[in-house]
Amino acid sequence: MENLFTDLVFILLLLLTAVNLFRLWTERDLSKISQLILWLTLAAIVAVIVVRTAAAGRVPFANLYEFALLFSCGILVFALWVRQGLDSSRLDLSVAVLLLIIIAISTTLPSELGPLMPALQSTWLHAHVATAVIAYGCFALAACLGVVALSRSQQTAPGLDEIENRIYRMVVLGFIFLTIVIITGAVWAEEVWGNWWSWDPKETWSLVTWLIYAAYLHARRSYGWKGRKSAWMVIIGFVIVMFTLFGVSILLPGLHSYL
Amino acid sequence: MAKKPLQQITTTLASMSSAIYILVIIGAISALGTLIPQGQAPDFYMQHYGGLTGRIITVLSLHRLYQAWWFLAMLLLLCLSILLCAVKRLRRTRSVLIFSSLIMHLAIILVLGGAAWSLGYGHSANIELAEGQSVSLAEFGFAPGQLTLDRFQIDYYPDYQPRQYSSLLSLQGYQGQDYHQEIAVNHPLKAGYLKIYQSSWGWMMQITTQAADGQSKSIALPDRSEYWLDQSRHLKLQAIFVPDLDETRPGINSLSPLPRNPHVLIALVEHDRVIGMNLLRAGESAQLGEYKFSLDGFSYYSGLNVKEDRGVYLVFTGFFLLLAGMLVRYLAENMVRKAA
Ligand code: HEM
Repeated sequence: MENLFTDLVFILLLLLTAVNLFRLWTERDLSKISQLILWLTLAAIVAVIVVRTAAAGRVPFANLYEFALLFSCGILVFALWVRQGLDSSRLDLSVAVLLLIIIAISTTLPSELGPLMPALQSTWLHAHVATAVIAYGCFALAACLGVVALSRSQQTAPGLDEIENRIYRMVVLGFIFLTIVIITGAVWAEEVWGNWWSWDPKETWSLVTWLIYAAYLHARRSYGWKGRKSAWMVIIGFVIVMFTLFGVSILLPGLHSYL
Repeated sequence: MAKKPLQQITTTLASMSSAIYILVIIGAISALGTLIPQGQAPDFYMQHYGGLTGRIITVLSLHRLYQAWWFLAMLLLLCLSILLCAVKRLRRTRSVLIFSSLIMHLAIILVLGGAAWSLGYGHSANIELAEGQSVSLAEFGFAPGQLTLDRFQIDYYPDYQPRQYSSLLSLQGYQGQDYHQEIAVNHPLKAGYLKIYQSSWGWMMQITTQAADGQSKSIALPDRSEYWLDQSRHLKLQAIFVPDLDETRPGINSLSPLPRNPHVLIALVEHDRVIGMNLLRAGESAQLGEYKFSLDGFSYYSGLNVKEDRGVYLVFTGFFLLLAGMLVRYLAENMVRKAA
């Protein structure tokens, strides 16, 4: 059942990519069709999550594979929100490609339905993971908007300023939530290990992302770093987010290796 | 007019560009620390990275990067920069935006200050207690109190994956109070500033050894550990606990982690070579070489992490102010933008 829906997600994402590649060439307005596919993909991912939750008898917050599902779901929700009022073919295309990458990575991850190990049995887990989905979803959309900004000439409406504003708002929302992710993680670590910070690789890289986005916010404010520079900043920031999420778990195992 | 050097330094530190540099540099250094294994002995780096790189790593303390003086100095520089920035901004306008932003920034100093406090005054110890065993906390450098493990328990899922580890503890006479509480992973005992965490567990075996000269000794040996019988002859005793021995198959296999058919595999080892072994039930004994070993009994032990640390409360206060300041700052900014 779960595999059926996962395959469906994959097919819908390929379709989304095809439709939006086509939109780059055609004058026809296929925005509504693209939107429909986004909604269908969201529905299929939600179905995967629901089936998995029912099968495991617990929330799907236990490992990186399950986080990738939630993350994809979050990206779709933010994409549907952010694309409103944008000529969206490039945004939809970058969202589709990003989701394909995440799904591809997730197929290499262990996906057994295990029970929750003792360290994970905490309400802090829910706060920590839920805020991470929001924070990383925001950064993902900021990066996709960055791609849109880079690929666009000055004349197209809405202007770069409008896109830049959306990037800033996504980063601010993401930054606030990343702050909550780190704080809930620290408070939880104090409760479970008696150490709120232990420089484990996952922790450290989340701090690195936090510092990078803080640097972005400062640079934007004082040097008016906008346009291309700001677009590159949020793309680089998101590459680091992806590394924190997948690279660290796969390459630098630590205390967090189960997540 | 040329500025005085000190003034020049403070102006530079209070500038936004140095703040950005500091943030990025701290980020880069922190990242570096995850790529080099931390906390190993110097030899490890010489072997794995070669002489020159290994020497660079140890000389620059890259193997203890997060405790290195120059890393701590960078954090101090960040605090200074934030502080100078705050002073500079306080002289100018006073709006909700600036005020909340100041709270947010100063909270970061509070977090780092709390961490420094923990480093300087925090105290922790790992204590392993068998069921029924009791220790005095004063022996481990805490305020006096008698800590007893009344019971240790593991709950399993049907597939024998651990569901929860819990220890029933008594803490008597700690700062004039008695505590009797079950702790578990995620549920430590809190007694004032003292916290006791469930951190590990294992089996502990009571074994009596009797040498050829008749001398006998009673020892408590944790599972999978070893006991030196005679250092000069490189003679040691090893013990492995087999909770649920499968007697239907050859070899030593456990059917489950539950003590349903408990046995202990003891081995006499000389120069890392096994010269005799035997499988014992409680109450049984065996002759290995010149020694006679009796298994008197076994029980769980619980690994407890005991900690006293007030710095963490400064840190959490900092977290709260950081978040509150951030939320107010951006809500205010949002309102200003909507109004414009
Ligand atoms: C870990 C360190 C830091 C973090 C997380 C941080 C965070 C922030 C954030 C989120 C903003 C709002 C930016 C915006 O959205 O426009 C900000 C603004 C600002 N920061 Fe920092 N900051 C840090 C360090 C510093 C330092 C060291 C300085 C001192 C030079 C500084 C000076 C400022 C100033 C002057 C502003 C603009 C005023 C404002 O927007 O409130 N920050 N900071």
